[in-house]
Amino acid sequence: MHTTPRTRTRRAAAALGSLLAAALVLTGCSIDIKSAPDPSLGADTMLIAADNGSPSLQRVFNPYLPNTRVASWYMFEPLVILNDLNGDEEPWLASKTEIPDPQTVVFTIRQGVKWSDGKAFGPDDVKFTFDMLKKFPSLDLKGAWQYMKSVEVKGDTVVVHLKGDDVPAAQIIEQTQIVPEHIWSKVKDPSTFTNPDPVGTGPYNLGNFTPQEYAMDKNPLYWQADKVKVQHLVLPASNTQLDVVTKGYDWAFSFISDVKGTWNAANPSNTYWFPPGGTISLFPNLTEAPFNDLDFRKGLSYALDRKAVGDAAAEGYMQQAGQTGMLLPNQEDLLDPAIPDKGLIAQSDSQAKSSFAKAGYTMKDGKLVDTTGKALTITITTANGYSDWLRAVQAITKQWAAVGITVKVAQPQPAAYQLALRNGDFQLAMGSVGGTGSVYQDFANNLSSEFYTPIGNQAANNFGRYRSAEVDAILNEFTTTTDEQEQKQLGYRLQQIYYDELPSIGLYYGGSWGLFSTQKFTGWPSADDPYTSPKTYVSTALLILTHLKKSEAAK
Amino acid sequence: MTYALRKVGLLILTLWAAITLNFFLPRLMPGSPTDAAIAKLSQNGPVTAATRKAIEIQLGVPDGNLLSQYGQYLKQVLTLDFGVSYTFYPQPVADLVGQALPYTLILVGFVTIVAFVLGTLLGVLAAWKRGTWLDALPTLGGSFASAFPYFWTALLLLFFLGYVFKIFPTSGAYGVTNVPGFSGAFIGSALNHAVLPAVTILITSLGGWILGMRNTMISTLGDDYVTFAEANGLKPHTVAIRYAARNAILPNLTSFGLALGGVVGGSVLVETVFGYPGIGYLLLKAVTNQDYPLMQALFLMITVSVLLANFIVDILYGVLDPRTRK
Repeated sequence: MHTTPRTRTRRAAAALGSLLAAALVLTGCSIDIKSAPDPSLGADTMLIAADNGSPSLQRVFNPYLPNTRVASWYMFEPLVILNDLNGDEEPWLASKTEIPDPQTVVFTIRQGVKWSDGKAFGPDDVKFTFDMLKKFPSLDLKGAWQYMKSVEVKGDTVVVHLKGDDVPAAQIIEQTQIVPEHIWSKVKDPSTFTNPDPVGTGPYNLGNFTPQEYAMDKNPLYWQADKVKVQHLVLPASNTQLDVVTKGYDWAFSFISDVKGTWNAANPSNTYWFPPGGTISLFPNLTEAPFNDLDFRKGLSYALDRKAVGDAAAEGYMQQAGQTGMLLPNQEDLLDPAIPDKGLIAQSDSQAKSSFAKAGYTMKDGKLVDTTGKALTITITTANGYSDWLRAVQAITKQWAAVGITVKVAQPQPAAYQLALRNGDFQLAMGSVGGTGSVYQDFANNLSSEFYTPIGNQAANNFGRYRSAEVDAILNEFTTTTDEQEQKQLGYRLQQIYYDELPSIGLYYGGSWGLFSTQKFTGWPSADDPYTSPKTYVSTALLILTHLKKSEAAK
Repeated sequence: MTYALRKVGLLILTLWAAITLNFFLPRLMPGSPTDAAIAKLSQNGPVTAATRKAIEIQLGVPDGNLLSQYGQYLKQVLTLDFGVSYTFYPQPVADLVGQALPYTLILVGFVTIVAFVLGTLLGVLAAWKRGTWLDALPTLGGSFASAFPYFWTALLLLFFLGYVFKIFPTSGAYGVTNVPGFSGAFIGSALNHAVLPAVTILITSLGGWILGMRNTMISTLGDDYVTFAEANGLKPHTVAIRYAARNAILPNLTSFGLALGGVVGGSVLVETVFGYPGIGYLLLKAVTNQDYPLMQALFLMITVSVLLANFIVDILYGVLDPRTRK
């Protein structure tokens, strides 16, 4: 070939390029990332990767807007904290909750609580908050007024009257964050109010705020001030994974690939805890053949090696899930002991094949074919960019190929994926089930016919379109009983149905990705002390902030 | 004069077409802004039907059919009122754009001008001294560097200069403790933060200018008038700059006009890698969250600036080159 100077230049460039790339790969392998606390932050200051302001932080501290700054959770407290890890209810601004009858909830309001501007907090603030949510339904993110009829103040209690028998509604209503009447009553339109100078009852007040970082300072008037040992919190806008590992963070909520090799290796006092936060499941479209056939669903379920799916998705950090809807080990005491092997369904090709046979599918030339001899192809829908779900789907594809099923993967953008779920425009879809902390809510969201809509009409929940008179009856009983033992029994019955009928097929647990450093503070939740989930962004964070101690080294 | 009028007419027509596309394209994306918000929330935990309802009320389901929405949109465009962002509710779109625009204009704009001037000069030099190391080095280096993808160069610089050697900050547009304003500390910190993204853009775009200029310059150098100028005994640098380069620069000038128009769009990849709060990053956020109001404002800004840059180049061409006026 005739060589012009131009191609010679190109070749030289290419050669130089590959040399340089090789050199980078070689040196890249030997680089160790180390991390130490930022020396400019004091021993009583905590660096948290909790808020994500991209490109820059907007000063929004209205706790009822989805875009509120995360620190709103540290300033505006609920009546009761529902611990989503184990379902425990921690009395907070309400010192006591009573349900005298299934239509009434009575909150006894805590005495001695002050707003951060020094004014006293009282039952009137609670009533004001609820009334405001009624007037501006866009703020009612938890949907308290779906269940409430009215609210009144009686002495130091707030009495909520429900629309009907609805005991589980108390767990939704009690999570409402309370705001001060003396400030919010002067706001003309709370639904667009940014609340730039927040006044709350929580352990921290807003400190210095810039578009790239803000600080929270301990609230000296806090009603549990003696329990708050961390004086300042610093929340930067940018928390890339490299930042989290290298910049000496004390607390982060983030999945990091190879946690032991990155986060733990960066500093000996770095620890992690990943309790289950939900069950990653496959939703079958129950209105479509063959997914409406229980035997077919059983076949799919038996053909799965759930451990391999979970390992592929979460690098072995999360356990396979049983078919009970319960998050183990944290919900162990709610688990129906009659269900064998804690609901785990072991892979069995023979059982898969016999189930498929009952549904009319048989093996022919290595392919699963229906009665007309047509080979079966299934489409699994997952959201684009959720790489852990995609790895799970890839593992499932391999496992189902072994029983003769061809799997196609549809990966629409997250918004389009949501739309597909709502319209029922899928065969099997990946999704997360449970994790609200309330057994009733977990099952009602996925199984209640209240959410049933025909295909093509948008559903808000129960995307698989499950309908069962028996489940509805159990859920209905749930709404009328205040007896804990009875609630437990009802939970058992729902688990049994979930196990037998496979309305969705549980795969593995989705994690709550807690990363902690014990260098400055100790008392983080852990497998040994699982008092709450490691989330930075819900009311349970208050449990952690009032639980931390200074470490020996920092004293 | 008719030439200019014709160009203005064309500008108005393309503007209308761009504005219209700008309205309909985002709405062709499957899923609604509420779906996007729910998808984001559901990554943090279960989302109930009540939450969906509240968000729907908050973002407001648009009134009327697509046509009346389009009418309303045209009115908004004419009054430059872009409403409230969905992603950053309840922040007005104008505020968000106003915050991001200076960073992009200064960073990308400045670097584009530097890359153009430097690249063109190096290209002239390379063509004039072709065959020597002054040609080989910029040509080889330029084609080598511009072959890298933006984000790869960005990640390399970030990792080595930011994390390993800790010479430059790794993200943001200024130090976390600085408050934006005209203070020495802020400007110093902003410059320091701009180095890595600026170098990334410079490295990857310089080569194009060098090669473009060098190649046209070489063909110009073969033209008769250059030989004639040399034969007349004019000084070498006079021939190079006043005769050859002046004519060779026209195609590069066109690209420069277009590049300047594109500056407003920012540089999505570079801004994302460096967490730089400019227009590119904002655009990425808007698109991934189906934030129609924000997307509309940003796309409108980008198309209008590209069209205006085009228009100015067209008019300039008419002045510079009489043949185009016909």
